[in-house]
Amino acid sequence: MRVAIDPNICTGHGLCYADAPQVFVDDDHGYGQVIADGTVPQGQEEAARHAVANCPEGAITLQE
Amino acid sequence: MPNDALPRIATDDLPMPEARDDAWRLLGEHRLVEVEDGYAATGRDVVETVLKNPSVFSSKKAFDILGSPVPLVPIAFDPPEQARYRRILQPFFSPKAIRPLEHGLRRQIIDLIEPIAEKGSCEYVAEVASVFPIQVFLTLFGLPLDMRDQFFVWKNAVLNLTAASGQTSVDGAASEGIQKAAELFVYLSELIQKRRGVPGDDVLSQVLNLQPPDALTDDEAIGLCFLFVLAGLDTVMDSLGFGMQRLATNPDKRREIVEDPSLIPAATEELLRLDPPAPFLPRVTTEETTLGGASFPEGTRVTGYLATANRDENLFTDPYGIDFHRPENRHLTFGLGVHRCLGSHLARLEMHLVYEEWHKRIPDYHITPGTTPRVHWPRGTTGLDALHLTFGKAQAR
Repeated sequence: MRVAIDPNICTGHGLCYADAPQVFVDDDHGYGQVIADGTVPQGQEEAARHAVANCPEGAITLQE
Repeated sequence: MPNDALPRIATDDLPMPEARDDAWRLLGEHRLVEVEDGYAATGRDVVETVLKNPSVFSSKKAFDILGSPVPLVPIAFDPPEQARYRRILQPFFSPKAIRPLEHGLRRQIIDLIEPIAEKGSCEYVAEVASVFPIQVFLTLFGLPLDMRDQFFVWKNAVLNLTAASGQTSVDGAASEGIQKAAELFVYLSELIQKRRGVPGDDVLSQVLNLQPPDALTDDEAIGLCFLFVLAGLDTVMDSLGFGMQRLATNPDKRREIVEDPSLIPAATEELLRLDPPAPFLPRVTTEETTLGGASFPEGTRVTGYLATANRDENLFTDPYGIDFHRPENRHLTFGLGVHRCLGSHLARLEMHLVYEEWHKRIPDYHITPGTTPRVHWPRGTTGLDALHLTFGKAQAR
């Protein structure tokens, strides 16, 4: 499973890295970024799906 | 669809003061409503369209009428100017920048709550919700906490002026407000002169010491300070007042966060979903456009109604209920798109600290019998005038 954030859509609400800190991290501006290449670590699938569904801007996509 | 087919609601007559859920229910029956000053986008889908298309739905045009003497950085701007301010300011309000403040702010809220816990009752808005955000502002801007009461007076003067904008006659109270706002203006101007070129850890010093092309002019810096006062103080105060009112009247929900404080972030989001303190985001169309099947000419005022969008039943099951266990909570209380609330990370931290430290010390409380919390209305922002709480379990009647 892999996630990606569209930087043109993300406005830095910060919910993804707060809820799934093993998948997302904040940059210095507070925008979300995927960790490494966005591959979701084992056991973090549910957190990743939650982050996708909970993003207010709909900026995160997920590939199973 | 011609616009005269849209339902009309006189918002001034809504039962907002004592039954705000009923008011939102009435507004939320339609996704677009004609209101006194234009149109209300109340459905989630149309609110998203309005907030995500700043070139068609301009924030700048909507805030022009405030007639502010200084540029309200960045809400009174549209992209691309807005993007510049946003890029410059965002790092100062990011989670990384805010986190180091947590320890000191937690100490401050404990110092506020401890004496109140011993009293057995309080007026929560005056004693907690209104003062803590001012202390946070002073801390962030590197100002002494003993300026709190002075800032309280200035803040109310500035906010009352904004609320009164559009009125043509200037009465005694308004001219006193103008004088107080002018005092704040002078104070901030002198502060900016003092801080420029002097290194410092506080946000204001750091903003003032930015180098070109990011450097802000004096007017821009004052505008930023004013915006912080306008956007960062009463919003948190009103959210805290609303949240505590719901917790006071729903002891089963309160019990959940007392027994499991790790629920506080989710509870904060749920309380924010139900009661956005700035529930109306005004925009003005820059061209003829269609929205939700209706067409609007250029220059139409279209306001995004967040509290109704936050109760959209397609997105939230039991949207009027309080549920700290929602799997997702995509509320719009901090807005959406380019103007998303710059201070959301700070606001969340403030609320988490208050809810955590309060419930450690005062797990049981209820609304003082004989008092009724009321929402000031009509007004551009919503909040409680007062919230009288008595501690301990309510007497069974």
